[in-house]
Amino acid sequence: MTPPSVRRLRRAARAIGLAAVLAVTALVVPQSAVQSTEVSLVKIRHAQGVAVGPKDVVWILAVGSDARPGESMTRARGDALQMVGINTRTGSATAIGVPRDSWVAIPGHGREKINSALYFGGPRGMAGAMRNLVGIEPDYVMVTRFPFFEDMIDDIGGITVTNPRRFSDPNLKKEGFAKGRIRLRGYDAMAFSRIRKGLVGGDFDRSANQQRTLRGIHASIRAQADEPGFIERGVMTVMQHTDTNASPAELFQLAQAVAQVDPSKISTCVVQGRVGYVGAASVVFPDVAQARRLGRDARPDAALERC
Amino acid sequence: MPSPAPGRSTWVIRCASLVLALLVPLVAGGCRSGSEPSASPVRPSQDAAQVRLTSHPVTTKTKIHRVFGRLPEARRKAVRRQVGEVVDQWWEASYLGGSYPRSSFPAAFPGFTKAAEKRARADKALLTNQTRGSRIDAVTARHRTISLDILATDGRARTATAAFVLKFDTDGELVGTTTVRGRLFLVRRDGAWRIFGYDVAKGSQR
Repeated sequence: MTPPSVRRLRRAARAIGLAAVLAVTALVVPQSAVQSTEVSLVKIRHAQGVAVGPKDVVWILAVGSDARPGESMTRARGDALQMVGINTRTGSATAIGVPRDSWVAIPGHGREKINSALYFGGPRGMAGAMRNLVGIEPDYVMVTRFPFFEDMIDDIGGITVTNPRRFSDPNLKKEGFAKGRIRLRGYDAMAFSRIRKGLVGGDFDRSANQQRTLRGIHASIRAQADEPGFIERGVMTVMQHTDTNASPAELFQLAQAVAQVDPSKISTCVVQGRVGYVGAASVVFPDVAQARRLGRDARPDAALERC
Repeated sequence: MPSPAPGRSTWVIRCASLVLALLVPLVAGGCRSGSEPSASPVRPSQDAAQVRLTSHPVTTKTKIHRVFGRLPEARRKAVRRQVGEVVDQWWEASYLGGSYPRSSFPAAFPGFTKAAEKRARADKALLTNQTRGSRIDAVTARHRTISLDILATDGRARTATAAFVLKFDTDGELVGTTTVRGRLFLVRRDGAWRIFGYDVAKGSQR
């Protein structure tokens, strides 16, 4: 027979041992396993929104200046002309491209090729010429030159575009651009946006290629926008490489708005027209009715259902 | 039946006691959230009748991740404080402050621009406690951190991106921890920082 004092000691030892085991278990078993029947993860929801000024839609006229080294880029010809609208409420965006040789009325200078509006009237003059043609007054005008454009593309790590057909240019890109999805660094993005000679549709196809480049830029910005400092760094680059009426704060707001554009809600159109001559100069007589219709359709919501 | 030697029993008890003495503080420590700073419990009073656990309120920790452009140190500190306050005001108005239960959050977006407030109202289910507030009795902040990226020109801060993490516990019908994290976009306008955009995710664990 075991004495009562010994039994008490054994019970105490067992109790302490059990407590120790439980303590060790609590320590080493992951909390989620211990609480598996009590934990329920509610679906994580996500919301985003940006407001740039009081209006839902903001319009930016993007101009690629052909200024040579030493020339002022706002007193040269505007070779790439894209009217870009962003709807910060719906996340849609649109670009209306205008061929640079379009024969249009330039405020205060009669009829000229639209690319000379920058030379005659600076960014404001170009905004006026685009307003006359498309019927949209841009909120901001951003002018850059090709080498700066290359730097900006390099700064965002390059872009990817979908090229509908192979084309080349003996001066800018001898080996040409392959058909399909292609990766472009700064120089190639410039050449892709600038080449006209190898394109069947000439100026119209070039404008469409510029819009493919814009889509690539958007995709690159969107993919990196949540990296700390990416947008700030981009704004600094844009400030160094563009002439614009937007303040640093406005550029930051625009960049955040661009980042929140839904890629599936981007629509693009190029103003069509007829190639002809004024004197000896080859020009494009733009389809003004189409240009106005595009402007009318896109103005309220930055979306185009058809070209 | 031979009885165990009294000396052996004493050894078992001593060993077990030692294990317990080592483990209990560890386990007690393990119960507190390991990686997240949490409210430090105040040592209870010796008087058993007055034993009551209270928590220090968790304060917001704001740090500057990076400044793009030149900004003097004094202005950096001012931006850190000012933007931290703007974010804090939104947290208080939308999640932490006021009396619960409630389902109305009429002034949830202090510091937002008018246009951004309009956008935010459409996302109130996520940007406030509106959908769950009627089943909550109390809210206690557990974690509040902000990391800033600042854009400066001419020696002045122009914009800020506030990456944040807010965690709070809820009591009542809905007991659990809610985490709100994301980014707020701010510009300096009319002498004050204003939130013009947001990119926010919210989830709860019960």
